[in-house]
Amino acid sequence: MVRFVRIIPNLKLYGAPGFFMSMNQPKHEENHSLTSGKSLIWLGRWLQPTGSRAVAMSVIILALIGAVSELVYQTGGTSFAWLHLMYVPIILAAACFGIYGGIAAALVAGFALGPLMPMDVATHLPQTTFNWVIRIGFFLLVGAFSGVISNLLNGQIKRLRQTNERLVQAHEDLKNAQMMLIQTAKLESIGRLAAGLAHEVKNPLAVIQLGVDFLSRMTPPENRDAIETIQEMGDAVQRADTVIKGLLNFSRSEKLTLVAMDLNALIEDSLVLVRHEFSKNRIALEKDLAAGLPKVGLDQGKVKQVLINMFMNAVQAMGTDGSLSVKTFIEPGTPGQSVGILIEDTGSGIPVDKLDKLFEPFFTTKPVGSGTGLGLSVSKNIIEMHGGSIKIGNRTGARGVVVTIKFPVPNTN
Amino acid sequence: MIKKKILAVDDEEGITRMLKRNLESTGRYDVRTENSGSAALAALSQFLPDLILMDFMMPGMDGGEVAGKIKEDQRFSQIPIVFLSAIVKKDETKPTGSNIGGLMFLAKPVRLDDLITCIENHIRK
Ligand SMILES: Nc1ncnc2c1ncn2[C@@H]1O[C@H](COP(=O)(O)OP(=O)(O)OP(=O)(O)O)[C@@H](O)[C@H]1O
Ligand SMILES: [Mg+2]
Repeated sequence: MVRFVRIIPNLKLYGAPGFFMSMNQPKHEENHSLTSGKSLIWLGRWLQPTGSRAVAMSVIILALIGAVSELVYQTGGTSFAWLHLMYVPIILAAACFGIYGGIAAALVAGFALGPLMPMDVATHLPQTTFNWVIRIGFFLLVGAFSGVISNLLNGQIKRLRQTNERLVQAHEDLKNAQMMLIQTAKLESIGRLAAGLAHEVKNPLAVIQLGVDFLSRMTPPENRDAIETIQEMGDAVQRADTVIKGLLNFSRSEKLTLVAMDLNALIEDSLVLVRHEFSKNRIALEKDLAAGLPKVGLDQGKVKQVLINMFMNAVQAMGTDGSLSVKTFIEPGTPGQSVGILIEDTGSGIPVDKLDKLFEPFFTTKPVGSGTGLGLSVSKNIIEMHGGSIKIGNRTGARGVVVTIKFPVPNTN
Repeated sequence: MIKKKILAVDDEEGITRMLKRNLESTGRYDVRTENSGSAALAALSQFLPDLILMDFMMPGMDGGEVAGKIKEDQRFSQIPIVFLSAIVKKDETKPTGSNIGGLMFLAKPVRLDDLITCIENHIRK
């Protein structure tokens, strides 16, 4: 389905190009990768608590030690099996307070069982004193060991938490960068729409203006009401024209801010902003960026916008499971050399009879609402303002489109 | 007084009709209207205008192309051309026309007084 619209349908005024919308939604994936870390961080809060939670845990641990000792006393030493329950508060203490917590709990537990000993010695075998020492030794060993593990885990979790915070920050930055980009891109298309709109609105305005002038000539001056009415109509036309002029000025606020920079870096930056589209559609990216490219004067925001337009067109043409190749090169030539970028996709390609329509404003083959057909016309405009050139054609020998963009390298002498 | 001949070309009939009615109402001009570039070219030898008023953006042959053809033809190359453009090329376009790149431009919508001033400034005497 091909639409080439000369008169802008109202719909399109508000229908932002498809990619602007899809760029609003890349967060899902990252949020997902953040959540697996989140559960560990949650665990970290319980592992080595601070503040009131730490106090509460100490009380619980002491109570547990007391309860276990009580159990041992109640059974009068006839069942030493209860003793093993003592490991619970010791390991808990180690988990909460690390190696020192574990050792302290082991000591407290040992001494809590102390009074049992004389009774033990009196009623049972003589080795029990020795047994008791071995118990405390085990308590200490387990307390220290689990304390070390707890400390290691806690360190890990702390690092994880920091990484997580950095990730959240980076995600936030990226989102902001995208918003800015979307903003400038939208302004740009509003500008182009304004130009189209101006053409369509100014013709009827011209008819009205000439009609008003004609009527005012034909109306006898003594018919003051009629003259006044006509006058007001004329003023209204001028007011409408002022609005259109304002829109046109806005669309021409296309002054470039040129900074000498590395085209490769700019490409990398732009790729970051579309990588979600790539991964979402399982598109493989092949990069072959030439080393040592001479710097060229580029308007960072605008050229980024061009590159993103190209990448999004490729993504949209490929659907899923395609592959996109991005290369840069230096081209010697007269009067000067230029740096270029070659973008090749494995998408649908472009019918030959459509090739010369590509750069016309509002030419699109995409369904209403997902493409305005301004991407390429705006891009071409931007590239030409840089003194550069853009060529689009079908690849030879394979399906897909190849886009070649060149920027002149400024003469250094 | 001999009336000056003006050829008005615009793809919108509303505009050519208005131009004709207005300019002829002054009693100073004889206006012929055409609604496409090719029709305008065809009318030239017969009508031989003293000035051509032409829309710039027209389907088919646009104003620039038509002007190019006229300038190539020795019989017509001296006829002054004033473009009526809906898309002002510069913010500074004067109400009575501005020279942009060697061509005379008037921004639509134009006021009749300004149009007549512009015509009088450029018409073959
Ligand atoms: N890589 C490509 N592969 C196939 N067709 C393409 C490619 N790039 C552009 N086209 C064709 O050119 C048309 C115009 O592209 P352009 O970027 O100007 O507008 P759009 O992508 O349709 O809309 P918008 O830019 O508003 O998203 C597209 O609709 C598409 O048919
Ligand atoms: Mg596009």
